[in-house]
Amino acid sequence: MNRSIKTGKEEWNRLLNLLVVAGEQIFAPVRKNGSLDYDLIDADNIAELVYNEAKPASPLKIFFLPVRLNVTSVNGMPERRIIIGAPACDIEGLKLLDAIYIDEKFTDETYQSRREKTIIIGAACHKTTESCHCTVYGLNPWPASGCDISLSAIDDQVVLTATSAKGESFLGEIEKQVSFTDAGEQVLGYIDKLRKASGSEISKINKGLPGTEETGRLTEAADANFWKKHSSKCVTCGACSAICPTCSCFLLIDKPGFEKIKQMDTCQYPAFERVAGGEDPLKELSVRFSNRYKCKYVWKPQRFMVLACTGCGRCTDACIAGINKNQVIREMV
Amino acid sequence: MKKNSKVISGNGLYKVIRATVDEVIDESPLIKTFVMTPEVPFKFNTGEFIELTLDGYGEAPFTPSSSPFVTERLEVTVMKTGYLTEKFHNLKPGEVLGLRGPFGRGYPVEKFFGKEVLIVGGGCGLAPIRSLLFTLIELKDKLKKVVLLYGSKTPTDCIYKPLFARLNKLEKFETHRSADRPDGSDWDESIGLVTKLLDKPLVNLKDAIAVVCGPPIMMKFATLKLIEMGFGDDEIYLSMEKNMSCGLGKCGHCMMGEFFVCKDGPVFTYAEIKHNPEIWK
Repeated sequence: MNRSIKTGKEEWNRLLNLLVVAGEQIFAPVRKNGSLDYDLIDADNIAELVYNEAKPASPLKIFFLPVRLNVTSVNGMPERRIIIGAPACDIEGLKLLDAIYIDEKFTDETYQSRREKTIIIGAACHKTTESCHCTVYGLNPWPASGCDISLSAIDDQVVLTATSAKGESFLGEIEKQVSFTDAGEQVLGYIDKLRKASGSEISKINKGLPGTEETGRLTEAADANFWKKHSSKCVTCGACSAICPTCSCFLLIDKPGFEKIKQMDTCQYPAFERVAGGEDPLKELSVRFSNRYKCKYVWKPQRFMVLACTGCGRCTDACIAGINKNQVIREMV
Repeated sequence: MKKNSKVISGNGLYKVIRATVDEVIDESPLIKTFVMTPEVPFKFNTGEFIELTLDGYGEAPFTPSSSPFVTERLEVTVMKTGYLTEKFHNLKPGEVLGLRGPFGRGYPVEKFFGKEVLIVGGGCGLAPIRSLLFTLIELKDKLKKVVLLYGSKTPTDCIYKPLFARLNKLEKFETHRSADRPDGSDWDESIGLVTKLLDKPLVNLKDAIAVVCGPPIMMKFATLKLIEMGFGDDEIYLSMEKNMSCGLGKCGHCMMGEFFVCKDGPVFTYAEIKHNPEIWK
């Protein structure tokens, strides 16, 4: 059983301040202009941190896959970095990124060092948004593994549960700085109730939406006309991929001195698969559009045995053409 | 071209090995072979590919056309077909390129032992095949027979002309060529598509495997014809051409269904990939 400890919110904020003063880099969700997103924490914004709401606007991957990175020169990573408030959907998405970037043959050092040096403090979603649908894919809106610590803030208390050895050692470290007590069954029971309630809410609003495997079958069965119809409004902006916790494709750009710059890319952009001879399997917009669905629901799950859509719903939130991914899937049925 | 650029440290996956161009061979009006000396001996298995960088301009995948038994020199055959390959064609001896690799899965030559090997190549697709042929020459005692069929647009577009004369003198090897159309130059071989060469009985199907490499349209029709002739889906080896950019199974540009062609291929049996209707695109 994982160890759970609690402290008062004021003590917690004092701890964060101590860590910031000690030079730790901490990112956590803050609401700015109505939008919840990760921000670098300093002494001034500690009190503004938002806990246990649904996902921040940016996916967790931004901490491991920067938009642009020189992969041939030494990369400037701090000794340690703490991310607070990662939702379960994003944490689940790291399984796919790990499988791609840290495989048995080729390990990407820039990715691996960021993963190793980061402490992820996940947070249960006590609230949900209209686009959340993690439960449809068998997930719960609270992290149980894949992160180091799970955090729940209730009333004036912050409860931390270690979910990895790294998390356990971090708890040991912070217990020396401020006072924590055992969380106790009553508090944990209350948290469980809150998070289960959001799980039920997500299941309710997504009733009838098929799971990963069924969506995969439907995606493969959908014909060219279906994709033409649903892609007709797509403007190829790539926002769906940029905001997706599992989209991880990139472009290599050459710079003098045999330097290589890795820049995030997407199959939604024209010429993604074009070869020098001119052949381009994804030339048509509708084929590029369908490629993303097939990648998420057929190919990546088949290849890596993990989810490639974790139900965060950001692609729907981000689409400027108003394309609702789940509505597209419902129309396949 | 910079010859003494600063030393790069960091992520080893993207670091290049420098290679100096020793010789540039004109193979056809559009195809050149670059003979290079890498700064360290370069080992690869036939059919595996490399990423070749023109400093500051770009990088592209090529399968070496030279013998894997030679590690101190490397040959890459390049068709002029776009911005980067045009730049490659302007290279002069003494200039320095960068290479990464080898990457992917090449030809499983040990599976060819005791068999008759039927090879169908088209255009610049003969480049990986030349490397395979150099390998098969070394291993010919273990093979029953090697038949090479090669098609080019015109007789002038036929590359590696001395190779055919050499192979035809070797025991167990035979070659047949076809040009899509004549162009007035000397040509005493067939005229027509390379698949026409498959009409003649060339190998004993009971004991044969086939290798196909060339433009997608040629690969498609050659494969269909081989199946019609009676080859099993797992007896046809295809070298797939996709936009292999990182070579590491990460960047996603070469995805073909669930496969990363750069890592799982570029050599596949038809049996492995035939469930995907989009392989010929």
